[in-house]
This record gives sequence, structure tokens and C-alpha cells, in this order.
Amino acid sequence: MYELLYIHLPFCRQRCAYCNFVTEAVPEDDPHMDAYLERLMRDIRAAAHAGELEHIRTMYLGGGTPTHFGHARLVELAYLLSLSIRLEQVEEYTVEANPDSLTPALAKDLYALGANRLSVGVQSFVDSELAVLGRLHTADQAAQTIRESRTRFENLSLDLICGIPGQTETSWQYSLEQALSLEPEHLSIYPLQVDHGTPLAQAINSGALSAVDEDSQAEMLEQAARVLGAQGYPRYEVASYARPGYESRHNTGYWTGVSYLGIGTGAASMRNTLEGTRERWLCGEEPELLSASEAAAEDLFLALRMSRGVSNTQLKEASTLLPQALNVFEELQSLGLVVQTNQRYLPTEKGWLLGNELYARVWALAEGS
Amino acid sequence: MRSLPKRVDSSLIRNFSLIAHIDHGKSTLADRILQLTHTIAERDMMEQVLDSMDIERERGITIKSQAVRVLYDAADGRSYQLNLIDTPGHVDFTYEVSRSLAACEGAVLVVDATQGVEAQTIANAALAMNANLEIIPVINKIDLPAADIERVKGEIEEGLAIPAEHALAVSAKTGEGVHDILEAVVRRVPPPTGNAAAPLKALIFDSYYDAYRGVVALVRIVDGELRKGQNIRLLAAGITTLVEEVGVRRPANTAVDELAAGEVGYLITGLKDPRDVKVGDTVTLAHGGATEPLPGYRDVKPMVFSGIFPVDGDQYEGLREALDKLALNDPALVYEPETSHALGFGFRVGFLGLLHMEVVKERLEREFDLDLVATAPSVEYHVFTTNGELLTIHTPQDMPDASTIEHIEEPYLTATVLIPPEYVGAVMELSVARRGSFKTMVYLSENTVEMKWEIPLSELVLDYFDQLKSRTRGYASLDYEFSSYHTASLVRLDILLAGKPVDALSFIIHKDKAYERGNALAIKLKEIIPRQLFEVPIQAAVGGRVLARTTVKARRKDVLAKCYGGDITRKRKLLEKQKAGKKRMKSIGNVEVPQEAFMALLKIDE
Repeated sequence: MYELLYIHLPFCRQRCAYCNFVTEAVPEDDPHMDAYLERLMRDIRAAAHAGELEHIRTMYLGGGTPTHFGHARLVELAYLLSLSIRLEQVEEYTVEANPDSLTPALAKDLYALGANRLSVGVQSFVDSELAVLGRLHTADQAAQTIRESRTRFENLSLDLICGIPGQTETSWQYSLEQALSLEPEHLSIYPLQVDHGTPLAQAINSGALSAVDEDSQAEMLEQAARVLGAQGYPRYEVASYARPGYESRHNTGYWTGVSYLGIGTGAASMRNTLEGTRERWLCGEEPELLSASEAAAEDLFLALRMSRGVSNTQLKEASTLLPQALNVFEELQSLGLVVQTNQRYLPTEKGWLLGNELYARVWALAEGS
Repeated sequence: MRSLPKRVDSSLIRNFSLIAHIDHGKSTLADRILQLTHTIAERDMMEQVLDSMDIERERGITIKSQAVRVLYDAADGRSYQLNLIDTPGHVDFTYEVSRSLAACEGAVLVVDATQGVEAQTIANAALAMNANLEIIPVINKIDLPAADIERVKGEIEEGLAIPAEHALAVSAKTGEGVHDILEAVVRRVPPPTGNAAAPLKALIFDSYYDAYRGVVALVRIVDGELRKGQNIRLLAAGITTLVEEVGVRRPANTAVDELAAGEVGYLITGLKDPRDVKVGDTVTLAHGGATEPLPGYRDVKPMVFSGIFPVDGDQYEGLREALDKLALNDPALVYEPETSHALGFGFRVGFLGLLHMEVVKERLEREFDLDLVATAPSVEYHVFTTNGELLTIHTPQDMPDASTIEHIEEPYLTATVLIPPEYVGAVMELSVARRGSFKTMVYLSENTVEMKWEIPLSELVLDYFDQLKSRTRGYASLDYEFSSYHTASLVRLDILLAGKPVDALSFIIHKDKAYERGNALAIKLKEIIPRQLFEVPIQAAVGGRVLARTTVKARRKDVLAKCYGGDITRKRKLLEKQKAGKKRMKSIGNVEVPQEAFMALLKIDE
């Protein structure tokens, strides 16, 4: 029973310098996008016909850059979705947008067709940093776009990146403050990841740019948590901050083991079976089957991405499948990665920053069972 | 292939070796000789047939001796039986070379026309002269543009005191001049002498293990004859056994009825343990045989020791089996179980030298698919205790408490270094820094200086050769031989990680160098050990006194922030990959230590 629906729109005007995602840079009138829309429409109709969309309660149009898909195509897609899904039971309907391609008219039309949340990829409010990232917009453009979309959308999320070559504690503070001045409901904060083979990695390897070291990146992440927390945006997930009540329901679904359907090239789906096992697959590919204990270990490590952590009850239940679970959580506590309060294990500051260490130790529970 | 004539008059036999510095083209020349004498059909010719081990072929070095019989129709109209013995080219195997040479009457000394005389050219030529062999100097690689035949002739005459006006200029690669070598062998190398009527006396000059036949010995018959069915006795080993088969290598084993005085071939007995068949031993008849062994036998002693441990403790049995198997073909390899607090169960392995150590380690990992940690090489120390005992120490952990030590002696080598004159200063500086004392310096030619140093083996096994090469832009060549034990002021330097001593990182060092080396190692380890969940102090200490300290800072950030629908699987795979990466490290207490940390001592910059 899928509760979340994700539609992938893998097109961009240009690849960002750090991009390693499934996407393709195409001009606005590229016929590929028409063909892609045709396929999406068929797949959505098929899913609706099979009854797979009946229980959908959150939707997400992600990319790529969905707003680069073009006004007409996007509206056509949203229209079909509005016919295929019971919009009255959809609690959250997000469209990802880039400041350079979101027009006021498009924002209005998307809202009219049911979208109620915009996630805007701002990344930085410093133009030189945007240039390093290979973004096509300026800081002013981003602020302008956001203000304009406010006429419709009362739920806005902004993405910011820290650890950009050239970024300082001061310029990061500036970006955070600029973001706050736009009064978004939600903020996502990502440390820049330099993936092998990207133009950014090449620029760093050639010495044209210098990478921000581990310690400074850690400082910036802590700075974000401090500043945002003080302004009424508590952290609810390792990279997510929101005003109370505006935590992303769709994303929370990913971290809490809710079944979801992904449509479009490279889109991921997950389905829990009645036997407690779990299937994961990419659109059009064979599913990977996770055993019940693997699913339990996955739920535990995903839960530790969130500030609410793991309850003693959840841990006890998981330990029937993962006999070492209690021991490992004790160890995590002694390592300072989690702390136990009010019958729950919560990630510590160290646990946030050393997430991979924490999640790896929890995921390893599946191996031992 | 031509068939073998029944029995050849010993005046028509020539036994000779090829000797050379590494990479001077010995193996290519051997290949060419096999081709020229039609010993191997053209289509079966594989580059360097005689270097049969993969590693030998890859690294272009010869580790085991080989003996091949070829038939050669000489210009004088007669057909000769030539036994070609290819010898190991490396200094670690000097004893093996000397035994191979003892099986010959002549040696073809191969010198690279572009490189000239190098350290092992001299060492091997000296061995050949000691064995009273007729030496035929051959200048190889004359096809190369940089070939300088006249200069090399000068070096042969001045450096080796071998007349070189008749030195043959050849190219093993193109085949030019190779016929002339065979003619020279026939004309200049004396035929073997030996008494066919005397009781059997044969020299074992190498052996190898065959899974079906057991130990196969390569032998030179000195007196008498060796036949299938004979009861024989190995004098040094004190073992009596039966001859199952004798034969010659062409290069495949070909059984013959008998091997007569002067001939070279192989011998198969029922013996399965390679340690029973010792290189240099004398084969004679069990009844009425010779009582005097052939001269020159000695027990092979390891010089360099290293602890070898499986990264994964489950591979301990696998490592034991692998060592057992390697030892079948390598009786010089000795090992005994060793336990380390840090590394668990493993073996202390003794090697003839550094190359031997490298080759063995590489074979263990490659041929047996083992993941190993090796500790920095050590040597054999003689510790004299206050109560008059002599302890032989192969591992730093066995070093007794300082208060019970009267004095310690360590092995010294005589190192011979050949360099162009402009590098004399660089070699001086390096050798003095490694506690070497200068012995002699001789100009072998305008372009080549020979320096002799007395230097502790423990310093040499560190990185002396690498340093020598890098400080002389690759021009230096090195040879060494054991000299004697000398008293030295030595201490054990311990490394502590997070406050706990790690036995596998301890080493023995001269007191005056302890601070410098300890500090350099602490710095190097800081680079090698990745940041961990906690801060890891690294301390270098002697007898509990800390000499140097560095710190690996605690890891601050390791998180991939994005994790949405499609990222979850990817993320999981990444966590698994990270974990697999950690598996390749040794965890000591709470600290994850990469394998290379245990060899860091060899990599410190001074």
C-alpha cells in the first residue's frame, strides 16, 4: 500500500558543478522531454488503474529541475496527477524548483493543480559561491522568486549548502541570515559533497579551487544548527530544520519505513510485504529483497537520522530480529554517538556529524543476525 | 627436438653458467641459446623459458637455478653436449649461486653494454673466479643506441681484472653474436674431469618440489655414475634413499638410464621433505660410497626476520598451509608461530635477505589469496645477559629487560656500492647516517667508483637500498655479504597508541638514533592512521620514557546528509563499503590501524 508518490523529472538546463545525480542537461524545447512526458503519463495511468495510487497521502515532484521541464508539460503532468490521485487526502504535495526557472505564472498554475509546498534550491546567498557551484541564478533572483511564490505557497523550503570552496564562517552566517529573512517554513542544510569525476572535483584536483577541510565543514554544520535552532527552526533530521508542524511528511515517510512508489527514470520505490520483508527497486529494474531483519536494521539506522531517534519499544521489538541490537546501542552510547533520554535513544551532536559511523554500526546488525 | 645420443665422451661435454647483474639480459640470452640449438621448437618459445615462476617472469629476476642440456654442432664438426645452468642473479642467493658455479667449468659473464659493470657483476665474477671457472666476458645489448662497448671493456679489465680484448659483443635480443658465445664455450671452457670408475659423488646444486614426484634435485656428477635403482646416501643430511629416476632437462624432464661423471641432470628419490635435500650436499652410494663430502657445503641461515600475520584471524590456518607449501620449493624459508597482542596469531619468518622477503610476501598474498600484515624487518641480535647467557633474538618483543642485559651484539655486513664518482658524497652521507664505517674506495674506471662500507644489517634492511637509489638517481648498485657481529648500544623503542604499547610496532635501534627515529615514526604514523572517533595519541618510548608524541585528531564529520527515497539503497551500499574498508585495517583496542602502519618504519623520511 503505497502512501508516498515520487515523480522524477531528470532534466536540467545545465549540470551543476557538483552534480552526480541522474539528470540530463537539455534545452527548453528538447523533444526528449515530450517523449518523457508521454511515458510518465502512461506509467501514472497504469499505476492508477492498478489501484496503486489510492492511498497516496504525500507527493513529490523532484529532479533534476522540475521547473525546467517547462510550464506546459508540467501543467499537463500535474493535471493528470490531479485526476489520478485523491487530492483531498493528500497532505503534502511538493514541487522542487530552481530560482532561474520558476516563474510566478508557473507557481500559480501548480498551486491551482494541488501543489502546496515548494522546495527551492537556493544553495547560497553569495553570488561568488553560486558561481563555484555552477548555479545559474544569483542571490537576488532567488530572493525575488521566493517572495513572488509567497502569493500562493504558504509552505516553503529552502536548500543551503555549506563547505563550498571559498566559503567562510562569515559568509555562511550571511547565507543563513538571508534565508531566515525570507521566513521559510523549512530549511535543508547539506555539507557539500565532492564526488569523483564532477567538474568541481576536477577544479579541486587541479588546484584551481581548494576544498574546505573536515573541521571547517563540521564547524559550519554546528553553526547552522545553532543559528536555526535559536530562530525557531529545530533540527528534526540530520539535514532538516523546520518550524514546528512543518516537518516534511513525505521525507519523514522515507525515514520511517513507509511504502512509496517512484515513477520516472531512476526513481526508487519501496514496498513492505505482509511477511515483514521489504522490496526496493529502481523504476524498471528487478527488486532487491531485504529480509525482515535487514528491514528492521534499516528502520533503526534511518530512525537515528531523526531527532526523535529510536524508542526503547522499537529497539526491543527490533531485537527479536536483531539479537545484538541492545548491545550495539549500549556501545553507541558509550562512544558518545547516541544518548538515552525519556525512554529513547537520540543522536548526539557527535552522532549527527559522524552519521556514517553511527548508521554503519547499526546497519551491521543485519549482518550478524 | 633432437633425440639424445646414448652416451657422450666427456671431452664433448661443457658445463657452464650464465652470470650477470640483475636486468643485464641473462634470461633473454638463455632463451636465445635454447632457440639456436633447437632445444625448443620456435612455436613453443615463451619469453624467458627458464624463469618459470610467475613472479620471476614479472619481475625479470631469476630466483631458482635451472639446468638445461642442449646439443650443439660446433664449427669443428663435432656435436657437443652443453649443460647450461642459469643462476639466481640476486645477492640474497649468493650461496645458491656458488653451488651452481661449483657444478660448472666455465661461466659466461654477461654485462650490459649501456650499464657497464655493476655490483653484482663484480660479486658474481668473484664467485666464478673463486670456483676456478673459465670466464667468458660477453657484452650484451649492443643493439641499444646507448651501448658503449669500449667503456664496458675498460671496466671489465680494470674492475674485474679479466682480459676483455676478446670479450664478445652480442645482442641476446636480436641474436647477434650468440653463436660466437657457444663457439667460445666449446673452445675455451675445459671439459669436465672426473673419475668414472670411482664411487659415485654428485653435487646437489638446487632442488624443487613436484606435487607428484616429491623433491627433484638438480645434480652434477663429479665421479662415478648415477643410475635408477641405486641405493644412495646424502652425506650432510645423513639420509639413505633409493634412486627412482634420473634424467636431463631439455627443458622438460627427460628420463635417461644414467648420468655419468661430468654430466648434469636431475635426480628423483622417494624423499618428500625438501629440507632433506640440501643445496650443496653430496650424493654418494649407500654402500661403498665416498666418505669425503664435496667441499663448500653450508647450512643456509636466514638473515632477516619479519612477523607475518593474517589481517583476518580466520586466515591463520591458510597462512600456515601457504608457508608449508612455499617451503617445499624454498628450503631457505624458515618460520615459527608467533603471537602478538596487537596482531594475534601469525608467524615469525626468516629470510635470506630483503628480496627474498619481498618475493615470499608477494607470493603468499598473490598465490594463496591471503590478506597479510607484515611487521618491519628485524635481524638476529645476540644478547648477552648479566648471568652469562647468550640469547638469540629475532623479534623486538623477545628483548629482555634492560637491567638483565650485559651487552648486545648485532650483525654487520660488508656492503659494496658502485656509483659514478659524482655520487661519492651522497653515499658517504647516507652510509654515515646509517652507522656505516668507511672501508675502501677504488676507481674501477673513470666512470665507476667502488666503495666498501661496514654497515649494520639492521640499518641496511630499513631502506638503505631505496635511499641509495634515490640519492644517486638510480645509478648505484649494491652488493653485500655478512661480515661479523659487533657490540652496539641498542634499545627497544616502543610505540604506544592511545596509551597502550603495540608490540608489533616495536623495533630495536641504536640508542643515539632512538629520538630521531622515534619522532619521525610518530609523525609518519600520524599520517597513516586515519582520524577515529576519539583522539589517538601516538607516543614513542624507550623503557617507559616517552621520547616523542603526536596526535591523530578525532574525526569531526563523516556524514552524507542527503538520504531520500532513491538514496537509501545507495547509502546502505556505501556503509557496507566503508565497513569493508575498515576490515582491511587491524583494530587494536579502539584504534583502527591500516596495514601499512606496520611497515611505516621503512617509509620515514629523514
